[in-house]
Amino acid sequence: MKSETTEKKPSPQIEFRIERYKPGLIDPPRFQSFRVAVDDQMSVLDGLEQIRLRQDAGLMYRHSCHHSACGTCACRINGIERLACTTLILSLNTETVVLEPLHGFPRLGDLAVEMTPFYRDIDPAWSLLTPAESIEGAAEPAADPPLRLEACIECGCCVSSCPAAHRNAEFMGPAALAALHRQMAKVDSPRQRDLLAAAASPRGERLCERALNCSRVCPTDVYPARHIADLRRLVKA
Amino acid sequence: MEHILIIGGGVGGALAHDLTLRGYRVTLVERGELLSGTTGRHHGLLHSGGRYVFHDAETARECYEENRILRHIASEAIEPNGGLFIALNEEDISHQDRFLEGCNAAGIPTAPLSPRQAMSREPALNPALLAAVGVPDAVMDAWRLAMAFFATARANGAAIRTFCEVTDLKMLGRQVAGVRVIDHRSGLSETIGADLVVNAAGPWSGRIAAMAGIGVPIQPGPGVMVAVRGRVTQAVVNRLHPAGEGDIIVPQRRLSVLGTTAWLADDPDQVTAPAEHVARLFSLCAELVPAVAAMAPHAVWSASRPLLQSSQDQDPFAISRTFDCFDHAARDGIEGLVTLIGGKATTMRAMAEQTADLIGRKTGRDIACHTRETILLPYRRYWRGDMGN
Ligand SMILES: Cc1cc2nc3c(=O)[nH]c(=O)nc-3n(C[C@H](O)[C@H](O)[C@H](O)COP(=O)(O)OP(=O)(O)OC[C@H]3O[C@@H](n4cnc5c(N)ncnc54)[C@H](O)[C@@H]3O)c2cc1C
Ligand code: SF4
Ligand code: SF4
Ligand code: FES
Repeated sequence: MKSETTEKKPSPQIEFRIERYKPGLIDPPRFQSFRVAVDDQMSVLDGLEQIRLRQDAGLMYRHSCHHSACGTCACRINGIERLACTTLILSLNTETVVLEPLHGFPRLGDLAVEMTPFYRDIDPAWSLLTPAESIEGAAEPAADPPLRLEACIECGCCVSSCPAAHRNAEFMGPAALAALHRQMAKVDSPRQRDLLAAAASPRGERLCERALNCSRVCPTDVYPARHIADLRRLVKA
Repeated sequence: MEHILIIGGGVGGALAHDLTLRGYRVTLVERGELLSGTTGRHHGLLHSGGRYVFHDAETARECYEENRILRHIASEAIEPNGGLFIALNEEDISHQDRFLEGCNAAGIPTAPLSPRQAMSREPALNPALLAAVGVPDAVMDAWRLAMAFFATARANGAAIRTFCEVTDLKMLGRQVAGVRVIDHRSGLSETIGADLVVNAAGPWSGRIAAMAGIGVPIQPGPGVMVAVRGRVTQAVVNRLHPAGEGDIIVPQRRLSVLGTTAWLADDPDQVTAPAEHVARLFSLCAELVPAVAAMAPHAVWSASRPLLQSSQDQDPFAISRTFDCFDHAARDGIEGLVTLIGGKATTMRAMAEQTADLIGRKTGRDIACHTRETILLPYRRYWRGDMGN
């Protein structure tokens, strides 16, 4: 099993139009086009990797897991918030792939954004673990029910897509409200009340305009708008 | 205290944490986002060590010890649901005694299960299974577990610079005095001086060593992984045989990761995920859990193992997964440079401890390691560091 080389069929060329930005250097931002030979298995992230390795070593984007687990590679692909790693280039059915950073986040450079504001209303100590859904036919284990990591990968897609978050910088936003609601399920009632009070604050659920973009773009089916609706019911009760 | 510069944001994060705890001034540079090399995109198996008992007893023991430490210091980033080794044919059964003895020798607890017990715990397993053994495998969030090290290192004063690529080593004769970097944000180059430079560039560490005119025994060993939608099992499923291709399924969140293949490559940047590997993973993993055969790939990717080379042309599955750190003063007559290679994500803390011990000897300081018992900060503190809480 020495190095394997793969025979590639002739592949279609796709144009990647990437919004470039480097503070003080490419400033204000402007689009730059690259051509990439693609096949039907290539993700947008694979395309970015090829451009960085073969055409421009200075291209900045975030990536880590390559399978929708870390949340770092979120950006706007043809105008819609998506993960670059699980978006197949040819599934977009366009000859040009337009890539822009998430909306409303401070830019680090090119497609990379600064995530600090995203965490403003997410307490670092909120738990990442939750009971796993049971598997059909499985006998429930007596002790130690299986746990899994929370579905939210903190990618920022929902916040970038949310019109209310752009209109009102004070809004806690869909990711923080969804995380808050998930945390409520894990704590005792005094702490639940504190969390609910935060959700009911002037920066909380009342600023949501129910545009539902957040649930549409969420790559891991967190459905933040449902969590916000649940919080709204609890606040009213 | 001495200024230590770490090249590479993978296991380098655990080293930055260890060194800041010991009081050193630390700068870490990473050419892209943190964990954009191998450490962010492996399977996520927090090894019990079971996969290594056949051919690599040292790694097996290391894995189990680190497995327990990480559950203690970073519990929130770990799905603690155990693992199973399952035997599907007579050949697998023939390995069972050696497997149990190996686990026993490495101190790894085992729980033999009857086929019926295994099926009632994990109904998606191949009903033709002949035997199963439970082990304390677990699943880590590769990004969040490693980010907890970065968050803690940063809170303790480490300077962490991303999108900052080392292009050369700053040499004063046969002494490494720092690094030349290009900061991809500004497009500008600069020199960062350091008392000691640590090459933790993983599969790329050969390139860094070459900048000092020396070689290191590194062999990039890529592998392909496939994620499917749906959690087919709660526990990790391994095939009961000496580690090979397509013999592991790692559930994570609402996905399952099928792994892996292995070959040897020269360039860690040019690793693809050949379609025939993907097909092989589906057919081999379907022997463990038949339902995966009908599932569509959700993501296909590859990563390069930084294998510690022992002899050429070995079976890449048999190359030891142990790690080593090299003092290039003793090895090559180059002062001020240490290289850390090999290992597993599971053993990143131990790799850091051993390297920091070496740095202690080189800088003439005898400071104890405290990473075994220091609970890591939540990874979100990486961004919330200056926001209180
Ligand atoms: C297919 C596969 C599956 C695996 N599965 C598991 C598993 O389930 N569990 C487990 O414990 N381990 C697993 N491993 C092993 C584990 O992932 C690796 O051993 C470990 O992550 C290596 O870490 P590292 O820091 O040495 O390398 P890396 O994580 O690659 O870190 C090196 C870093 O250096 C950076 N760098 C390179 N050049 C420069 C430069 N010039 N300037 C600045 N920065 C630079 C890179 O960008 C990179 O981020 C797996 C490995 C593979 C390949
Ligand atoms: S439903 Fe609310 S939170 Fe979600 S996008 Fe619309 S306004 Fe934003
Ligand atoms: S709720 Fe969904 S879209 Fe929002 S941050 Fe979490 S994973 Fe991303
Ligand atoms: S790279 Fe991790 S979600 Fe895309």
